[in-house]
Amino acid sequence: MSKPKVAFFDFAGCEGDQLQIANLEERILDIASHVEIVSFREVKTGHSDDYEIAFVEGSITRYEDEERIKEIRSRAKILIALGACATIGGINCLKNFLNEQEYKNMVYGPWARYYSTYAARPVSAVVPVDGEIHGCPIDKEEFVEVVKSLLLGKKYTPPDYPVCVECKKAGNICQFERGRLCLGIITRAGCGGVCVSRGSVCWGCRGPAPSANLDAAREVMDEHGFSWVEVEDRLRLYLGHFLKFN
Amino acid sequence: MSNYIVYLEQLEGLFAGWQEKYKLFVPQEKEGFYFLEEYSPEAEISFDYDLLYNPPKSFIFPPREDLIEFDLKTYKSKPLFTVSPQILFGLHPYDIKALNQLDQVMDMGSVDVNYRQRRDNTIIMGLTPLRVCPEAFWGSVNAFNVDFGFDLFWTKIGPATFLVEVGSKKGEELLFVNGRVDKATSAEREVARRKKQEIVSLVQKQNRLKYSWEEVPRVLEKSFDSFLWAEKSRKCLACGSCNLICPTCYCFDILDEVDDKLNKGKRYRTWDGCMLESFAKIAGGHNFRGRAAERYRHRYFRKGKYIYDMLGELGCVGCGRCVRVCTARIANPLEVFNVLWEALSYER
Amino acid sequence: MKDKFSPYVPRVATLKAKKKLSDFVTLFEFAQDNGKPLAHRPGQFIQLSLFGIGEAPFSITSPPRSDHHHFEIAVRKIGTVTTALHNLEVGAKVGVRGPYGSYFPMHKFVEQDVLFVAGGLGFIPLRSLLNYMLRHRDEYGRIMVLVGTRNPKERIFIDQIEEMKKRTDVEVLETVDSPDETWKGNVGVITTLLPKVKIEPESTYVAMVGPPVMYKFVINECKKIGIDEKRIYVSLERRMKCGLGKCGHCQINGINCCVDGPVFCYTEIASLEEAI
Repeated sequence: MSKPKVAFFDFAGCEGDQLQIANLEERILDIASHVEIVSFREVKTGHSDDYEIAFVEGSITRYEDEERIKEIRSRAKILIALGACATIGGINCLKNFLNEQEYKNMVYGPWARYYSTYAARPVSAVVPVDGEIHGCPIDKEEFVEVVKSLLLGKKYTPPDYPVCVECKKAGNICQFERGRLCLGIITRAGCGGVCVSRGSVCWGCRGPAPSANLDAAREVMDEHGFSWVEVEDRLRLYLGHFLKFN
Repeated sequence: MSNYIVYLEQLEGLFAGWQEKYKLFVPQEKEGFYFLEEYSPEAEISFDYDLLYNPPKSFIFPPREDLIEFDLKTYKSKPLFTVSPQILFGLHPYDIKALNQLDQVMDMGSVDVNYRQRRDNTIIMGLTPLRVCPEAFWGSVNAFNVDFGFDLFWTKIGPATFLVEVGSKKGEELLFVNGRVDKATSAEREVARRKKQEIVSLVQKQNRLKYSWEEVPRVLEKSFDSFLWAEKSRKCLACGSCNLICPTCYCFDILDEVDDKLNKGKRYRTWDGCMLESFAKIAGGHNFRGRAAERYRHRYFRKGKYIYDMLGELGCVGCGRCVRVCTARIANPLEVFNVLWEALSYER
Repeated sequence: MKDKFSPYVPRVATLKAKKKLSDFVTLFEFAQDNGKPLAHRPGQFIQLSLFGIGEAPFSITSPPRSDHHHFEIAVRKIGTVTTALHNLEVGAKVGVRGPYGSYFPMHKFVEQDVLFVAGGLGFIPLRSLLNYMLRHRDEYGRIMVLVGTRNPKERIFIDQIEEMKKRTDVEVLETVDSPDETWKGNVGVITTLLPKVKIEPESTYVAMVGPPVMYKFVINECKKIGIDEKRIYVSLERRMKCGLGKCGHCQINGINCCVDGPVFCYTEIASLEEAI
């Protein structure tokens, strides 16, 4: 069996997810021994249009992006969205709450009219995706897990329950008990509750869990004394696309 | 069994003696909450803790436990047991009762060998509570006293004095690790009895089941179609916290992981919970408890009826962890058992 | 430490043959590498492992045979394990735990009439019992088989069913919910077949397996005919994970489907709200 050819692409994003993969360091050698990487800007030079598996980072924010992602889709047998920008639109979607002229002026000032850009969206809003690796940035362990699943012929399904599950397994103190606003109650697990384990709160970067009860969560956050503005600001940070379309 | 007296200043020596053979975990404070953490001579032991934030089950039924190791090429596999002897010092009676219950369900039918291994390597030392957390109701569910399931049981009867009840031969040996200790007098035993009594009346004054715990299964039986399940579960976040934090919950999932070279792997189990949406979902997509109300009801039935039908005691020990951890504030078994009972008496 | 026993260690089996039963369902024949028979009873299930992929429960579709170590399962390609299973080639290894669970009481069926009610994939576990009874045909009374499928494309074990239709010692009736142009037989849900067989309620046992929605209707019909609840046996599907009555996934109210089931006498589950 020949090794599957893998390529990495990026759209609107910081390439932080590909950096996470580069951070695997020597482990990447074991993983990479099963595949052939034909395109990966952060690790090697050169590019080829002959690939089976495409990892796509970043969100779609321009008409030109749409054409490019469709092109990638047509070449790749398997397309996997990599990181929050690609899977849920991520923080790029913050701008979706403003009108187009507003954010263009804000970013580009007098040159605004030379730039084409529209409301940011996840890759799956434009082309079908075969898998998603959530997170901002992604968890490198999960990336490895996905690659291994692909090689074993197993469909990788990320956890469908909220981060609370992983916090409990880690033995963390619930941030609500400390009076802090935490989106773990609606966010898809899979990160191991890493932010809470390190003393922060969950920001929602993995997107809503399929079972997330957003209405109840809003009520709960209200009861815990958080204002509508606080809650909405927090939700919008990563869940902009989800809020607009659900 | 015998009762002995141990003074505070003897503790350090005892602990040091035990640590030669065992990992020793004692209650310690961290950011205003209490945890069973490994002992060191610098550690400040919280004898007066109100509730351990995490259930002690994690020491015997860890959140993740390897079951087997396999080879993807040869398909050979072998069991994995990772066990080291440990002492859990300072468990309150309700937590010991929870472990006793786990012992029973894990040994029932097909013995859970991984659990058994860990349990056999664990020394349990109980401690009479000195304070009660506001959410606790263990005084109402027959969990304020245990007469088995510990190797030693400690009661602080004076500022620097403990009465120690012996629960097992092993426990007594550990107590004598630095030589024999004094026997307790009948007066000292009486003080300990009163100390226990005091704390029980305290917890009973605070939160109380309005009827006898033995009636809970019958109350639930009549409440299968209650409006309460849907009403309360409307706010359920399906986060499973109430399950995972529960000292008597033991549901798990089984998963595989393989090494980076794709040669070998492990099959492990990890905590799961019936409140999670896909817990009862099968491959075809059918979910046997697809509605939040059904899952919510199942948890209470499990605590209040199904375990009772199996063992003759409630599956809830009244520790109050779920009450505390549920951000939606819908997980309080005492409240639910009381409301259902009231609804039934109203109907009558 | 010396290797201790663990029920989670599977035995190794080898895939001997694969046969497509429909667009979605495939029959897999395995042989245990230890050369021993599986020693199952009709209605029981196994936990089948594909290392690295996972483990899933499957009911055994072949009848018990003490004389050889092959056994069969029929699998619909639907989840992670089943998809990977379909990709296996003959000669591949798998892990097997079990057989687990309760089984149809073949001893009670002796000299009695047995009515099989198979909805969709329900034919798979029933086939184990059916083929066992056909091999010991003299020991039993009438064998009546009702088969219902959603549409003709999803029919499974067509060869066997057609062959049985020709036999005189088995009464077979088949129906589909939604026919296509190829279908010449009965149309309608499985309950519409019941009036077409003459059943003597006092001497008939019922063995039924099908999708969750089917049970209530068929059981009602059976009771109308006058069959005692004690004579109705069902097999229920749940998410068995450990197979040992511990993990909680397959709980029906207070009982574990993997240990107390999957085969139940109707009287055992009549009072369980979550059962059917």
